[in-house]
Amino acid sequence: MEPSAQLVAVATLLPLLAGLICYFLRSSAIRSLTVIVTTVALIAVSLLLLQNGPFEYSPPPVAGLEWNTLITVADMALLVVFLALGLYLRNTLITVLALAQAAIMGYFEFVMGAHVEVKPALFVDELSIIMALVISIVGSLICVYALQYMKDHEHHIQLEGGTRQPRFFFWLVVFLGAMNALVFANNLLWVYFFWEITTLCSFMLIRHDLTKESIANATRALWMNSLGGVAFAAGIVLMYERAHTLSLKELILAGAQPEMVLLPLSLLVFAGFTKAAQMPFQSWLLGAMVAPTPVSALLHSSTMVKAGVYLVVRLAPAYVGTNLSTIVALAGAFTFLLTAVLAISQSNAKRVLAYSTISNLGLIIACAGLNTPLAISAAIMLIVFHAISKALLFLCTGVIEHKIGSRDIEDMEGLISRQPALALITVVGILTMLLPPFAVLISKWAAIEASVRMPAITLFFIVGSAATVVFWVKWVGKLLGAPSGVGRRGGTSLESLYATPLVLLVGMAVVLSAVVAPVVNAIVEHAVMPYYKTAGITAVGVDLSTGVGFITVWPLFLVLMLVVTPAYFFVRVKAEQVRPAYMCGENTAAGPTVQFRTLQDRTEAIVTSGYYFEKALGEKRLNVWANPVAIALLVALVGVVLR
Amino acid sequence: MTTNDLLTVIVTIVLGPLVGGFLFGVDRRLTARLQGRYGPPLAQPFYDFLKLWSKSRIVVNQSQMMYVYGYLAFTITALCLMALRQDLLIIIFVLAFGGISLIMGAFSVKSPYSNFGAQREILQMVAYEPILMLAAVAIYLKTGSFMVSDIFSKLQQPLLFSLPLIFVALLIILTIKMRKSPFDISASTHAHQEIVRGIYTEYSGPYLALIELTHWYELLLVLGIIGLFWATSIWAAAAIALAAFLLEIVVDNIEARMTWSWMIKFVWSTGITLSVVNIAVLYLLR
Repeated sequence: MEPSAQLVAVATLLPLLAGLICYFLRSSAIRSLTVIVTTVALIAVSLLLLQNGPFEYSPPPVAGLEWNTLITVADMALLVVFLALGLYLRNTLITVLALAQAAIMGYFEFVMGAHVEVKPALFVDELSIIMALVISIVGSLICVYALQYMKDHEHHIQLEGGTRQPRFFFWLVVFLGAMNALVFANNLLWVYFFWEITTLCSFMLIRHDLTKESIANATRALWMNSLGGVAFAAGIVLMYERAHTLSLKELILAGAQPEMVLLPLSLLVFAGFTKAAQMPFQSWLLGAMVAPTPVSALLHSSTMVKAGVYLVVRLAPAYVGTNLSTIVALAGAFTFLLTAVLAISQSNAKRVLAYSTISNLGLIIACAGLNTPLAISAAIMLIVFHAISKALLFLCTGVIEHKIGSRDIEDMEGLISRQPALALITVVGILTMLLPPFAVLISKWAAIEASVRMPAITLFFIVGSAATVVFWVKWVGKLLGAPSGVGRRGGTSLESLYATPLVLLVGMAVVLSAVVAPVVNAIVEHAVMPYYKTAGITAVGVDLSTGVGFITVWPLFLVLMLVVTPAYFFVRVKAEQVRPAYMCGENTAAGPTVQFRTLQDRTEAIVTSGYYFEKALGEKRLNVWANPVAIALLVALVGVVLR
Repeated sequence: MTTNDLLTVIVTIVLGPLVGGFLFGVDRRLTARLQGRYGPPLAQPFYDFLKLWSKSRIVVNQSQMMYVYGYLAFTITALCLMALRQDLLIIIFVLAFGGISLIMGAFSVKSPYSNFGAQREILQMVAYEPILMLAAVAIYLKTGSFMVSDIFSKLQQPLLFSLPLIFVALLIILTIKMRKSPFDISASTHAHQEIVRGIYTEYSGPYLALIELTHWYELLLVLGIIGLFWATSIWAAAAIALAAFLLEIVVDNIEARMTWSWMIKFVWSTGITLSVVNIAVLYLLR
């Protein structure tokens, strides 16, 4: 077995083993140790994979059984599980969708008699490696955080009748293995199997708390993703019928596929849309936030939704230059804009984050649809940098919720004086999503420059970016809005299992931004070049050039340091320099709450609250027409290639 | 970075505020004449600056001044990037960083006035950002590049001839960027419209001086963007920038401040329509 193949085996099978250990050995100490060891191992393995570079591999039979057979059997078993779930939940839709998938796969295996042997079974190129890095590093850090979080969580909801953490960590850790396997697989049937595993994992994790709401939302997630599963299965059958191959490698290395093959491709892209929660499927991801916060962090950053965009980006070379590509770009751009606007009206932090995720996924998909080398580079950069910043922000929100008992942005006012370290990390996290010279913004810049060949898409990008500024800055403002005074005030220190992932993630977000050019040069370019000849974006020393534009990263970092350093380290404000905020001279003595004298000398607390534009931009107002438009775009997605 | 670039940066940082401050002096004087007053000397902005600078440092909290530094530093950076003829989109993003820093500063104090100002400043930003970026896209369609340098090297004809509607849209948002009526939403300079000065309420003394200084740099940058529309001749560029500047002063004095909702509706409907029509024409004629 060659070294890279061993690494792949560890990356996919170790999480399964660790999951089983967590499930059967119910001791908390063993669980913590297992998760931490798995984390370290996965991170090491993904870095070694990066060092070894792309490779192909077909695992030999195990005990005389071909892997193909094993996976086919497991796949059938999985569909039976879905069917059982549909019956158990008494949900006709899920039952019907599971039956449909079983029928399609049964037809494929037994009627078409297709015993598809795909060589190589594993096709690990630079994109797979990038995905594995994101899954293994960001995903694992979330699992470490979950160790502390679930302890607090079960205490918080006053769980009775023994801990439910063993099953929680089983699904959480297995999720990582399934995701890794998904991005390594070359055979579409294998991809499909792991795709369905991630659907099952997310269903189990969303309903973990077993409240009425979490069961309902998990059920919705399941039926929407099953719909994607049906599209995926149908896509596989049609693909085999029309392209006579199920090898991803063959599909994408051949350049644009003939028109015949666009229909199965569009079905696969449709499946990607459901998993990436694109409009009109956004409701499952929004509902998923009822789950414990580590689940949200995982679903939103490194797993699940990223599987959706991975598939769309992965297949992009196969539909380059087609009408399908244009519709993909339009649908992604539409979701980007609408969900960014919808986020403005939300005051629930997790909901803001959820909309922002869907929005960024829309941007990634739009880039895949633009389908130029530069656009694909931008898409891959966004996958990476969005995962880091978004995982960080979810984890921050989770800690904040445990500390202040609320996830409402209005309740986070002045967090900077109540929990300075936590608030600071959150603010930096938000700024890395929003401002230059941080990598998410640099990716967005590349996306805009790539979009100019279709100015209509650019318009969506530009207006969506403006909306993005509103909800982020409002949130930062709330965190910063402290009463007057100087000196550190209170704040409890963070538990190390919280602090470690947070510090590592915020460090990654900042450091990777500073070295974005070498990163692009060493990794992203190689993920794009094999399929597009050029990368579209090139590193010029420590700067980046798109061919039509240029960014100098370091001077911007230098300026940022010049701004932050003196204020934090050198300027010391003395107490006598401090005055209360201006209230027309009617301030009362300073205290924990800021008050002023109003009519008849009554004292009242100052209340400041954000604008949310609920009436103009609320969900009720926009969804009425946005969802139908999104459905129309989906119809167009399949309709444009129907023949 | 070559020596030449370094020189450009130094000249920009040193001369920028002199020119900007002088223009503010012209504004003060002209506005006074339009209102039937005599007005202060042209150097008044500099006197004001020095006076504010010499006042004692009063703050509301520990980190308030950091955001002023950020506003100043990133605005200067944006202007330098412009002088170095860099990527137009990056210039717009860096300028936005400056603006967001100012907003964060206003939010960092629990004060109703500065909070109102900050919320409104966000709305102003939302109003003008898309127009600025659309202008960059339109310029790309003419030059095939986002680099300011290519506007100078690749064009025979001024941009104004092919992008007249974009130019009008930019004039509209110039009013917002210069914080002039009818769009002086987040803070007004006219005492008859506003007594407590919105987003700047919680700044005083040297910090307010730095904010004024930043405005000088900012003015130069937005006028520079206007000047790009006649970049074939440096004098013509200066002339249209100056003309636009004078037009804004007149508009400021004949208009009253409007509400933020009107601003968003007007700027987005008119500004975006003008830009999109212009871009569509360019795209179809290409």
